[in-house]
Amino acid sequence: MKILTTVRRVPDLDARFSLNGDKTEIDTEALDHKVNYFDEVAVEEAIRLKEKGVADEIVSVCIGSGNATKELRTALAMGADRAILVEADEKTLDPYLVAAILAKLVEKEQPDLIIMGKLGVDFENTQVPQLLAGMLGWPQATFAYSTEICDSKVTVGREVDGGTSTFRLPLPAIVTADLRLNEPRFPSLPGIMKAKRKPLDTMTIEDLGVALEPRVKTVRFEMPPEREAGVIVADVAELIQKLRDEVKAI
Amino acid sequence: MSHYHLDRRDVEFVLFEQLQLEKLLNLPKYSEYSKEIFDMVLGEAQKIAMDVLAPMNEPADKEGCRLEDGQVKIPKIFHDAYEKYKAGGWVAPHAKVEWGGQGMPVSLYLAATEFFVGACTSFLFYPGLTASAAHVVELFGSDLVKKNYVEKMYSGDWTGTMCLTEAGAGSAVGDLLTSATPNDDGTYNVVGTKIFISAGDHDMAENIGHLVLARVKGDPAGIKGISLFLVPKIWVKDDGSLGEANDVTIPSIEHKMGINACSTCVINFGDEGKCRGYLIGKRMKGIVAMFHMMNEARIVTGAQGMALGNAAYQSALLYAKERVQGTDISNMKDADAPRVTIDKHPDVKRMLATMKAYSEGLRALILKSAYLLDMSESIDDPVEAARLRGVLELLTPICKAYCTDKGFKVTELAIQTYGGYGYIREYPVEQYMRDVKIASLYEGTNGIQAMDLLGRKLPMKNGMVFMNFLGVIGDFIDANKAHPVLGGAVLLLEKAKNKLGEVSYGFAMSGQSDPDYPMLHAVNFLEMMGNVVVGHLLIEGGIIAAGKLPDAKEGSSDAVYYSNKVKTAQFFATNILPGNDALAAAIVSKDRSALEIEF
Repeated sequence: MKILTTVRRVPDLDARFSLNGDKTEIDTEALDHKVNYFDEVAVEEAIRLKEKGVADEIVSVCIGSGNATKELRTALAMGADRAILVEADEKTLDPYLVAAILAKLVEKEQPDLIIMGKLGVDFENTQVPQLLAGMLGWPQATFAYSTEICDSKVTVGREVDGGTSTFRLPLPAIVTADLRLNEPRFPSLPGIMKAKRKPLDTMTIEDLGVALEPRVKTVRFEMPPEREAGVIVADVAELIQKLRDEVKAI
Repeated sequence: MSHYHLDRRDVEFVLFEQLQLEKLLNLPKYSEYSKEIFDMVLGEAQKIAMDVLAPMNEPADKEGCRLEDGQVKIPKIFHDAYEKYKAGGWVAPHAKVEWGGQGMPVSLYLAATEFFVGACTSFLFYPGLTASAAHVVELFGSDLVKKNYVEKMYSGDWTGTMCLTEAGAGSAVGDLLTSATPNDDGTYNVVGTKIFISAGDHDMAENIGHLVLARVKGDPAGIKGISLFLVPKIWVKDDGSLGEANDVTIPSIEHKMGINACSTCVINFGDEGKCRGYLIGKRMKGIVAMFHMMNEARIVTGAQGMALGNAAYQSALLYAKERVQGTDISNMKDADAPRVTIDKHPDVKRMLATMKAYSEGLRALILKSAYLLDMSESIDDPVEAARLRGVLELLTPICKAYCTDKGFKVTELAIQTYGGYGYIREYPVEQYMRDVKIASLYEGTNGIQAMDLLGRKLPMKNGMVFMNFLGVIGDFIDANKAHPVLGGAVLLLEKAKNKLGEVSYGFAMSGQSDPDYPMLHAVNFLEMMGNVVVGHLLIEGGIIAAGKLPDAKEGSSDAVYYSNKVKTAQFFATNILPGNDALAAAIVSKDRSALEIEF
């Protein structure tokens, strides 16, 4: 069985963000980047399925700039077998386009299972897996906290509002990883050294025959307003009055 | 929020912009490496430091170690972290691939070690001493011993210690009483008591290999008669499987000022006469093997001072940028003036600048020394390799003593920056200070280091190693005197360097007639030399930064970093280097009052 995992390159969220001059872009150049945490969980799940003998090959895919080879090497160092980088300027992409690119790649690679992070921690769109499932006509189970594969079906425990639900999907299928699915391993140093020798193919969007036509247009970003100084209230009565009349919170 | 904040940018500057670590990639020894791997290694080290080690620092310090029924119990949280640390291959990544290491450059390993030590100092003793001990076994052990121990130790499955100190033999190691008697099977019976053994016992690994200095019965007194033995906690049969307990017992552990989660043990070898060990290296050459370990350990100890100094500086910096107190000095008389964060106060700026200069200077010194080690062990040219080894030997006591003394000073300044809050346990800096103090004491006290520098290192090759080293700094000075920004700093370095040269010449002249006098000032001399070495590295870094500044985007974090780097070099040159004048004045005074006071 072949598993495809996606590996998104995201800025370190602890970094200090700034906007470009006309506020249409977040200045990410100087920021540290790393693997989207949910994608690490996805890669880890694929590796565990391989360690259980269920899967034989794990392919990790990233769509992004040439710098993203580092994030793919991280996936390879964790235990993925090979990697594909689809080179693209991340700022020209939107979820639909990413899903379209992945759909083409799936045609090429023919995986039996796709495991993806449930969302990217930078924009939190939570759209690509769902769009991809629609394009491929595959079943999907999002927000997984457990997976089990048996008889060409995957059973997925899901976290939903107010509890859990369990889906059983025929393969091929898409599963998206939630936090509690597992605790991703740290790539070991031997793993890092081995990753260098694992294949990492690079291709372009054009190679896959996808037209670069984004459907989302970024108009403007705004930084959150600076937090203003608080006020000291005299007593509870004043607090209630302010909450009711000024903040209109109650 | 984590107690620990690391300065990855400066680590990367030193490694890649100042030392140009990529040069190693051209050497066959490091052909498996790449810049991308270097980056990944640093990234993973950062992750382990922040996610696994840092959260243990405070709780492990509070819990400490206990001795229960002869077995030392270390904090439970260490066990799980140790498994992760081992699984990551971090115990000895610099060991050879054939022994289970990754052949990693020591410079990269020490950069990672800074993160680990800063995150949780006490934890690092267990894997750190293991790697050093295993290296001695690898270099000096018999084939059988190597086969059974080296890989087990490098992997961290077993740990290791070095057992030198005895109650009556500390700095004077030659006075030790532990004895060894040859057995018919080639092993030795070892009897004696060692104290102050770091990571001496724990319940985290199934076996411990102790490297024990002892005297074979009948061998001469003093340091020349000492041999080195590998004494396991559990005897290892020739086929590599574990046998019986080896009569190695722990009567007590120490209760200390710091590094509380590192078990510091008294160890009894052969209470019942059943303790066996293997001779490591040649009989009566124990000190040669031990010095090998000590030299390596001294640089790592310097790294401890550097790492904790840096951790303390980062904490103090963050605190100073958040803590609001008082008004801007220009508004002092206005009671309603806006309150400012304390990093706006000139006196706090002085402390921050001092901490920054030492922290970054010590980092450059440690990584540069490690880089010299890497180069000396991997280049083809034997003459150049010997020269680099000489420089490294010269710098080793400075790495050890200067980095631990200044590292301590930085933790002290960090507490001062916090004010009263720095003294209480809610904030991390008091622990940094407690944890770093030990580094000026063990691995040869800093006084011993200064005597080593003066008595052993300066005379190497009739003083030529030292003179050539000053020559290299002299060339740097000549080449950069006219630097548009840091030319003035270079001239201050020249002055400090010349004073150093004058003083060393004076020592050489007077040492014969009055051997006490140079030793009285050995520590002052080491400080002078440390100032010059670190001043040189900071100014070199400042000049590199000044060159990159025009290309950095205005207002970008890089532009701020480079600009600060230039000013840090200037600060050190103006505020620290002139201290050499005062030190030199004391040294050349010939004043013997300290020797003459009746204590």
